[in-house]
Amino acid sequence: MAISFDVSKIQKKLAEKKEGVQKTVAELKANGFKKNMHDFWYGKPHTAEPGGRRLGELYEDKTGLLTHREWRGFKDTMYYMYMIWGYNYLHMVTDILKFSNNPIDFLKGTWRYRWMGQTYLPVIHWFERGLQGMRGEALYASAWHYRAMVSASIHQICTFFNADTRLHGGKENDAYKHTIFTNETTCGTLFYPWKDAGYQYVSMEMIPYFVTCHVNSHTVLNYIDAVQSLGLPGDPCPMCQAESGLFVLDDVPDSSPFIITCNEACDASVSTHTLQDWFADKPLFALPIPMQFDDPLVKKHCMNEIEEMWKFVEEQTGTPFNWESMKKYLERQNKLQRDEWEKWEVAAKTNFYPINGVAQALFRIYSTQYGIQTDCWEDASEKVKKIMYKCVEKKINPFPQTRHRVIAWSCAPLYYSNWCTWAYNCWGLNCIINMDSLMFDMEIRTDSYENMLEDMATYHMWAPMRRMAVGGMHHIFELWDYMQRFNCDMVAMYDQLQCKGMQGVHGLFEDEFRKRNVKAFWIPHALPDSRTVSRAEIRRQINDYMTTVMHEEPLDPSLLDFDDSMTW
Amino acid sequence: MKKCKCRMAKVFFKILKIFLIANVALFVVFFFDLDGKLMFNVVEPFLKKHYDNMERKDVLQEPYDLDKFPKYKY
Repeated sequence: MAISFDVSKIQKKLAEKKEGVQKTVAELKANGFKKNMHDFWYGKPHTAEPGGRRLGELYEDKTGLLTHREWRGFKDTMYYMYMIWGYNYLHMVTDILKFSNNPIDFLKGTWRYRWMGQTYLPVIHWFERGLQGMRGEALYASAWHYRAMVSASIHQICTFFNADTRLHGGKENDAYKHTIFTNETTCGTLFYPWKDAGYQYVSMEMIPYFVTCHVNSHTVLNYIDAVQSLGLPGDPCPMCQAESGLFVLDDVPDSSPFIITCNEACDASVSTHTLQDWFADKPLFALPIPMQFDDPLVKKHCMNEIEEMWKFVEEQTGTPFNWESMKKYLERQNKLQRDEWEKWEVAAKTNFYPINGVAQALFRIYSTQYGIQTDCWEDASEKVKKIMYKCVEKKINPFPQTRHRVIAWSCAPLYYSNWCTWAYNCWGLNCIINMDSLMFDMEIRTDSYENMLEDMATYHMWAPMRRMAVGGMHHIFELWDYMQRFNCDMVAMYDQLQCKGMQGVHGLFEDEFRKRNVKAFWIPHALPDSRTVSRAEIRRQINDYMTTVMHEEPLDPSLLDFDDSMTW
Repeated sequence: MKKCKCRMAKVFFKILKIFLIANVALFVVFFFDLDGKLMFNVVEPFLKKHYDNMERKDVLQEPYDLDKFPKYKY
């Protein structure tokens, strides 16, 4: 194999490195001993004044890789290295050993599936993007949310690979017979009755599509292009395109004897499940999320459909619905919801809430959708509560440079869910809460089967992208109540350019913002597809708003404009 | 006894040395994002090439048999 070196490129890189070192040495000399020691111990201050941290200077051009990681002060850098970077690398391995029936299957799966190998190996960089600039309790607490998400992802990946006939020479093993495949917005809660009998719920797209976009946004582009290569139009929601593309490229594991699909609260997704029905070629039950859900008759209909789906599962598995199992896991889920309310209370009424915007949003949407399939959500929640109450008791403000308390509304760009970390570092915009967190804002009663079923129907109908996105005016405009409840003074309004439903209410929001004198900026995006609106364009829009409308100066000018077009 | 203590001290310092070297090496990998650079520049391009060249089933050749399974009406 011939290896060629571009000497001029290497020389240019070396010259850049030399220049960087010279600049650092000159800076250290100019700072003086006292300031250098202070920076070593505490990290550089988060300020636009000279001597403040400049996170934008850490990036390599285009790739978003770091020339070096941020020095957060001695304690936080060591914490990051041992308790986040090292800890998570180590626990990724232990999680695989814990959840996998045979770790070799994990390697075979990595080799077989693009969404696995290309996406999940650089997962620690995902932490980096979300936690950049965080210090102290904000760093410690937000990282626990990430840890839970990684653990839940490995749990799902292992569920796939333990049962996948493709990795076991076509054999339908015991794990295959005990796996329930669903669409990603058919919540895991619905399958608690079979959990104690050893059945594993796994969504066909949550790992191969949804989580990949956050971790490595390159992967999903293959699936979008695959479905368009068949001649299907490029203008429907790219989420539906990507989910169909997984099947077109034959990249969905064969891990279950049957499938439960839904319309994923979106017209375009109806077509997705038609393609899934064709390509998967298995017994399939369609459990749609109603388009009009504030109607008691529709609710009754939805309850009937859920019961029909349960009968389908009973028939396919040969295992009856177990009320005790349902009750047990629902009670654990309700406890998790009450914990979240406790956290929201602190977020709403104080400045002591230690979770950053991206960690809050992803943890919530992931945990409510996946449900209590492992202990990871509860473990993380307990740890976060402990850190949060320490902040409350000692009056620690984990985001001391907050200038605006922001509520983020509608569906977020999956390829740039960490925009809020950037926005805090650059402008002091602290994203307190978001629509994704608030969707399943309810407990499910367990005092009787009838009450449980009624609440379960509501829970199912409040699916992601339904209640507060395309779920009718009343729910979309719940924004104003939540804005008040969480004491927010600014709205980050997501603008999913390929969502026909949300495009329809764009003007109404503009009118309401003006009428109510609400400070709001728009974040245009195309959900998973980073080619339609780049990250740099999103930042430019926010920069424009902050300078031309708010007349504010950035906290870190190095973050205003940088090229990360090739980043994960 | 003295010899034994001396040997124990030697082992202790050896372990300490290994521990320190391992930590310094880890710190270098961590601080200079070497794991990220390895993934981005070597592992991902290698895997991409592998996935791009993989033979895949042409799912469009599969018949869409609408009546293969029952309607599942209850």
